[in-house]
Amino acid sequence: MSATTAGTGRTRRRSRGAVESSTSARAWAKTALLAFIFLWCLFPFFWLIMTSFKVQGALNSANLFDGPFGLANYRNVFNQDFHLNLRNSLVIATMTTILCVVIGSLAAYAIARLPLKRKILLLTGVLAVSLFPPVALVPPLYELWRTLGLLNTYEGLYIPYTSFTLPLTIFILTTFFAAIPKELEEAAKMDGASPFKTFYRVILPLAAPGVFAAAIIIFVSAWNEFLLANTFAPRDPEVAQTVPVAISLFTGAVDFQRPIGSITAACVVVTIPMIIVALAFQKRIIAGLTAGSLKG
Amino acid sequence: MAEVATESRTLSGPGPGERPPRAKGVSEKGLGRLFVTPAIGLMVLVALFPVIYAFVVSLRAYTGRQYEGFAGFENYSEALNDDKFWASLQFTFTFTVISVGAEFIIGLGFALLMNQAFRGRGITRAAILVPWVIPTVIAAQMWFFMFNVNPGFINSALGLGEFNWLGESGWVKFAVIFADVWKTAPFVALLLLAGLQTIPTDVYESARVDGANAWQRFWHITLPLLRPAIFVALLFRTIEALRVYDLPQVMTGGAFDTESLSMVVQQYVVKTPDPGLGSALSTITFAIILGIGVIFVSLLGRELVIGRKDQ
Repeated sequence: MSATTAGTGRTRRRSRGAVESSTSARAWAKTALLAFIFLWCLFPFFWLIMTSFKVQGALNSANLFDGPFGLANYRNVFNQDFHLNLRNSLVIATMTTILCVVIGSLAAYAIARLPLKRKILLLTGVLAVSLFPPVALVPPLYELWRTLGLLNTYEGLYIPYTSFTLPLTIFILTTFFAAIPKELEEAAKMDGASPFKTFYRVILPLAAPGVFAAAIIIFVSAWNEFLLANTFAPRDPEVAQTVPVAISLFTGAVDFQRPIGSITAACVVVTIPMIIVALAFQKRIIAGLTAGSLKG
Repeated sequence: MAEVATESRTLSGPGPGERPPRAKGVSEKGLGRLFVTPAIGLMVLVALFPVIYAFVVSLRAYTGRQYEGFAGFENYSEALNDDKFWASLQFTFTFTVISVGAEFIIGLGFALLMNQAFRGRGITRAAILVPWVIPTVIAAQMWFFMFNVNPGFINSALGLGEFNWLGESGWVKFAVIFADVWKTAPFVALLLLAGLQTIPTDVYESARVDGANAWQRFWHITLPLLRPAIFVALLFRTIEALRVYDLPQVMTGGAFDTESLSMVVQQYVVKTPDPGLGSALSTITFAIILGIGVIFVSLLGRELVIGRKDQ
């Protein structure tokens, strides 16, 4: 973490010098290339939004600016119970985030700061779980959930999500905890605080930005999960069908034809808040993502 | 890398003997054990146990979901004689090699470009998160319609008329891989950019003084120092690509030889239920992916350590 931040400052200083020394033609070429990256990332969404507002015959036209435009697609989406899918995804992703943050921050603190036997073995195990293909769990968990009655329930999804996102959570949070100055804990200990109180009162508040970064990343990965959701809760939006499953299954007036209007409208409904979150918290998310991966 | 730092920090801390008088509450050792137990417990229960259970189930015979007795390794021989399995293995490997390769090259290009600060850098850094944040299912639907003959956006942009990308065996793979590269190349760029920013500036300055040109600086300084970040990006991307499910499932439903390993396994769970065969396939998939992960870590991990000693 701290290394990354320091690095940014250093790079900025160096590159400013580089830009001054290079010719303006070169600077322009770089800006053009940067614009290409920008368009690469965002242009498909412009296509998506334009298409979602097209109605009737306009949907068959390749030209993005061919009308007529209207809100019919959005009305269709919510007539198909999409708000229930949004509710299900929200509950499942929130539960996953809470469980992961609580369980993960305890484990990460222990790994970063507390005396623990076989720490390397523990970290290797965590890394191994992060390499697990989720599909390996699909047949056994399906049988298990069927016996326990957990198919088509929230629990049936957020429990496996939590265990799958825990490794990443632990990697991210261990990095953040390790970056907190050790003197603060020593001071708390001197004042006679118990180890638990030190964690709870001193460390946790200081790690809040890191915990927040981890929480966003967990939420996004739970919100986006498709394989388990499509297997354990494939139908009923009333019960536990999530947003990605609904978007993959939207049906139109004609069978076997994907309704481009409703699908793009549903995609826009889901995408806009996520883009806002990404833009609003980009620094935190990037810090979390790079902390988590550089750790592995 | 941080692992090592954590470790040494703990070791250099005060030993148990030199601690100030014991405070009230649980001891540090007890607290450590208490804190890691829920995480380990959950991972063992929901990740390790099912994998073992899958192996047990894979040794049983079923008709539909009806248990018929012990089968030995029959499910495995059935799986290994299934053309579908080999076809999916081939597609999964093709997908992984091409998409990870393309993502690495494009991601590295993006990262190198963004590492040189100039106008528009901040906004590009923000934009680069957008493909990462949206669900893969949405990316799949979006690119399905962009490639599709109707409305034919890509065809009209490239002047291709009625070319059926999603109906031609080779090109449908291109479409799926393209969608994956679009979604994950920016993420790879993000990881590599973080690595680039840890390279100290003075190394470049002294190389410049010694007369190294831009290519020499890239080849002899940037690449070797970037090795840890490259390793991490390649490891996680390879493992993720081998698990691919969302994109081909939504874009093609597995048509024209685009069925991935994950799709084949999932099919035996719900569509044509056979717990025995499904578990055998999932166990094989697990072994393949974990095996590749272990080879990766042991080969490149050693490389990483040697590389670090050189410096």
